[in-house]
Amino acid sequence: MKENRSDKPNYVTDEERREFLKLGLKITGVLAGGSILSLVPLPEDEAKAMLELAGYEHTPYKPHYVMVIRQNHCVDCQRCMDACVKTNHVPEYGYRTTILERLAKDDEGKEFPVFMPVLCNHCLNPPCVRVCPTKATTKDPKTGIVVMHYNKCIGCKTCMAACPYNARYFNEEKRAIDKCNFCWDTRLSKGEKLTACAAACPAHVRVFGDFSDHESEVWKLVHQPDKAVWVLRPETGAKPCVFYMND
Amino acid sequence: MINKGFKIFICMLFLCCFLGVGVAIGEDEEDYPQEPIIFTKPVKAVVFDHKIHIENGLDCDSCHDEPFEMAAGTAEENQDFNMKSLYEGKYCGQCHDGESAFASNTRCTLCHIGVKGYNRLTGIKPKGHGGHE
Repeated sequence: MKENRSDKPNYVTDEERREFLKLGLKITGVLAGGSILSLVPLPEDEAKAMLELAGYEHTPYKPHYVMVIRQNHCVDCQRCMDACVKTNHVPEYGYRTTILERLAKDDEGKEFPVFMPVLCNHCLNPPCVRVCPTKATTKDPKTGIVVMHYNKCIGCKTCMAACPYNARYFNEEKRAIDKCNFCWDTRLSKGEKLTACAAACPAHVRVFGDFSDHESEVWKLVHQPDKAVWVLRPETGAKPCVFYMND
Repeated sequence: MINKGFKIFICMLFLCCFLGVGVAIGEDEEDYPQEPIIFTKPVKAVVFDHKIHIENGLDCDSCHDEPFEMAAGTAEENQDFNMKSLYEGKYCGQCHDGESAFASNTRCTLCHIGVKGYNRLTGIKPKGHGGHE
């Protein structure tokens, strides 16, 4: 039987590999919890061309909110998680953002943890939005934020199953699905420039900003010719807007 | 036939070995804390293992009482116990400068074990977060 999608986190099928290559992107490795693709290192114009191919350069969103995660700076202090819980009243049984961990080995064979913050990827092509039967979750036409309309949600949890990033949970109090909305209601709409998690991070791991602004830090980070940038589970075609890099 | 003198010699040799090892272990245990020191301020959590540093040729005088007093938790009370100070050569940064030992702004998670590492070391079972711990 032919496998179209790997269920094992540390395994990439030929099919997936071809999917990456179709996007014009290069696989650099595999991580627990998600395959990796590399947008760069490439000459700047080539990197830009690839991002354009993948649909990131010309979106209708302005500002186009994205997050860049400087993964190797994360030390799992969890201030981001605490800030999120406090700001967005996230119950103990759920999360809007969390930190995953895996063990890696350095050159001398010594094990060290790699911490990977995860949250809603605010995909360009969000599977959750596509499957919602009541249009309770939509992609905001102005900012690109994947938002919830709690009063429309019937709690069928189809979006939870569709999300490749496990970014949704059922909120018992709201009787609806809840998820990260880049702190739109709690901060951004009130004039704040950063999400609670980005503001709370002491190591500048979570860089938040407007990808449509070529002067923004997020845009510049992703467009460094000598740095590898990847997204999680690119093979789903969701086109996630949370970028990862080591710097 | 092995003569009696040789047997006694062998016995004494064994005895000395065991006693010697015993004394050495005893001394080591008294010398430095066997459990890792865990810092939780200003971020949770950073681990310091005396054993690794002793094995790398340091002795008590290398870090006590400068830059660290010989009492766990003392440095954490200082306002300047942070990465910036380390980069300026204070605290761990006295050696972790990229010359004597790896630089403080590299290999973050070797010392920064995070909340997850802290929970593992202290046996705390994390609550919530959708089974993601």
